[in-house]
Amino acid sequence: MGLFVAIKFPLLIGCTLICNALLNGLLGILLGMNLGFRQSFLALLTAFSLAALILGSLAPVTFLIAVNAPPPDAPEARIAHASYLVTHTLLVGFAGIVSNIHLHKILVAKAANRFAATVTLLAWLGGNGFLGAQFSWVLRPFFGSPSLKVQFLRDDPFDGNFYETVWKSIERISGGNGVPMLTAILIAIAASILISICEQPVRLPKP
Amino acid sequence: MNPQELPPPPLPEPTEARAVPTPPVTPQEIPLPDQLDLKSLFEGLLRRPKDLIPKLGVPGHQAAGKLALLILVTFAMFGVVLGCFAKHEQLWAAPLKMSAGLLFSSFICFPSLYIFSALAGARMTVSQLAVCFAAALTVTGLLLLGFAPAIWIFAESSDSFGFIGALVLIIWLISLVFGFGFLRNAVKVSGGGQDGPMILWFGIFLLVTLQMSTSLRPILGRSDVFLTSEKRFFLQHWGMTMGTSLSPVEKVPTATTQAPEAGAPPVSTSVPSTGFRNPHVSE
Repeated sequence: MGLFVAIKFPLLIGCTLICNALLNGLLGILLGMNLGFRQSFLALLTAFSLAALILGSLAPVTFLIAVNAPPPDAPEARIAHASYLVTHTLLVGFAGIVSNIHLHKILVAKAANRFAATVTLLAWLGGNGFLGAQFSWVLRPFFGSPSLKVQFLRDDPFDGNFYETVWKSIERISGGNGVPMLTAILIAIAASILISICEQPVRLPKP
Repeated sequence: MNPQELPPPPLPEPTEARAVPTPPVTPQEIPLPDQLDLKSLFEGLLRRPKDLIPKLGVPGHQAAGKLALLILVTFAMFGVVLGCFAKHEQLWAAPLKMSAGLLFSSFICFPSLYIFSALAGARMTVSQLAVCFAAALTVTGLLLLGFAPAIWIFAESSDSFGFIGALVLIIWLISLVFGFGFLRNAVKVSGGGQDGPMILWFGIFLLVTLQMSTSLRPILGRSDVFLTSEKRFFLQHWGMTMGTSLSPVEKVPTATTQAPEAGAPPVSTSVPSTGFRNPHVSE
């Protein structure tokens, strides 16, 4: 499984960047950044590289967690799997936030004004996040499940949709009140992103 | 000799060492050529619309044909991606309907564009406005092309007309907004100071394209006929078909049952007559 994910994780990032290369380049120009296609691609690659460095530096820690986890057939395997999943989600989320803050700094240094940099970052984040989530669904599993066999890809990887699955889960959790719950989740995500971006210090140009 | 009669010392001549170095000319300062090739057209469309717009008013710019070709190619390719949802005949029908629907919508809305741009204060000839409109649609087409890989991924992964329809609608809206931004720049450069008429026209054009997508249905789904004869308002159509999917359902659909549509002009759906979306997926 480790070898599978070692192949699929870079593949996930590569597929997302390549599929969105034209779009990211167009948005980089049209939203006032005046970045070329190559520069947009390199800026995003830099952000992903930073995230990869953060996650790579934490790999020994997560390896230790994996080694000490109970086997799949143990009674507490499901709880351990869920904990492992949540831990990795938090780590990936942390690496993503840090790399996007760094990307914002790059854009602010390049942009004519801070607003253009922020709008461009949010547009890239939206586009890459939207497509990346679907690619992560297509390329699943990344963690696997104690009850399922280890596979490189699930049968019919293109069958299903990340967002439909999330929506069904939200509907199930909320007991049919999916719309308000989804709205609350989206507002929370948007607010956290905006707060983390707006709290970055503005560097004045040197005289 | 009296010191007061001495002539003043001559001023030192500027030497090369004292000459102020001229800053390098940035690409943005190089003027666009009068005869626009594809590279300068892209440069103008994306980076320097305010430099491109006056060029489009000068006869001999040779941009009209290139813009028309770009519009055709980009919208046709986007249509192919939409056709990948249902496949089969939609692989050629969807791009055909996209291109034809956009052309027809543009013809319908162009007279109002001229009037509304004049109301906004623009001073453009009909031909200049037509070329600027084509340039705006090219920007829209380029963005649709940029979104095409994402649409394709979801078209291959989802059977839901509601999801795909909503996704295409949002993308159509975003792309159209950027295209409209170019048109608005064109009006401002030519002297138009008011935004109200142009925003109103944008709303009209958006409604026309959305209705065109219903009139030209099916585009996302499949049907035994190329065009349906039944008339329906696009909101009514979306409401009736939002929850349906491309896969065969146990309830037998009626002939008038249609699938939801998206915002692009020739986007529309219908319940397929046979089989799964992907013929290679076994039952």
